[in-house]
Amino acid sequence: MIPLVAVVSLRGRESRTLRVWVPLILLWLLLVPFAVLLSPLIFIVCLVCRVNPFHAFSVGWQILRALNDTQVAVEHRSAGVSICVF
Amino acid sequence: MNEHRLQILQMLSEGKISPDEAERLISAMEERPSAGSSQKAPESGTKARPKYLRVQVDSEEAGHEGPTKVNVRVPMQLLRAGVKLAGLIPPQALHRANQAIHEQGIPFDLSQIKPENLEELIDQLSDLSVDVDQKDHEANVKVRVFCE
Repeated sequence: MIPLVAVVSLRGRESRTLRVWVPLILLWLLLVPFAVLLSPLIFIVCLVCRVNPFHAFSVGWQILRALNDTQVAVEHRSAGVSICVF
Repeated sequence: MNEHRLQILQMLSEGKISPDEAERLISAMEERPSAGSSQKAPESGTKARPKYLRVQVDSEEAGHEGPTKVNVRVPMQLLRAGVKLAGLIPPQALHRANQAIHEQGIPFDLSQIKPENLEELIDQLSDLSVDVDQKDHEANVKVRVFCE
């Protein structure tokens, strides 16, 4: 399953936390037409670089799927950012 | 296994090792797999494979307001996919990257990274924990890398 939601938490100097739920599913839906339009170009670039385009697509898809449960958090006294992908 | 035995016998024939040493080497070689399998068997039943690679950095620098903490959790699946991505790098680019790595003095060959090697590496990672603690007058940095 590809990631559907990303939760971005931002903490400012006033210790107020802003939590934003980003529906990645909408982002994917928006990107699909672009991906379809660009696919011939990507195919040609893959052939020029001597890379199997189907293998490249497969690996790209696996990376997208593997992004699930990724978590990055940076905390400082004055600010903090946390990104969780579900 | 037979290759190792042949190597030992060859060393014996060349006079590099004594018959006693050859016997000890062969017996040690025969004992190792059985000991390894007897130790591994109960482990494989209880120990779960790690799902995430966790990197924690705790840094406190002089002159800064407070400590900076970085906490990154990377799914192992992402590492696997990343290694597969490395397999897509064109040979010329791989050669250049290898050259750059060697210029930095790191004896590492990117072309040796293969998904089948990664599985073995991930199996070993469950026991791995790297702790780096650097303290000086300017900064106090702690880095922890482990699997969970």
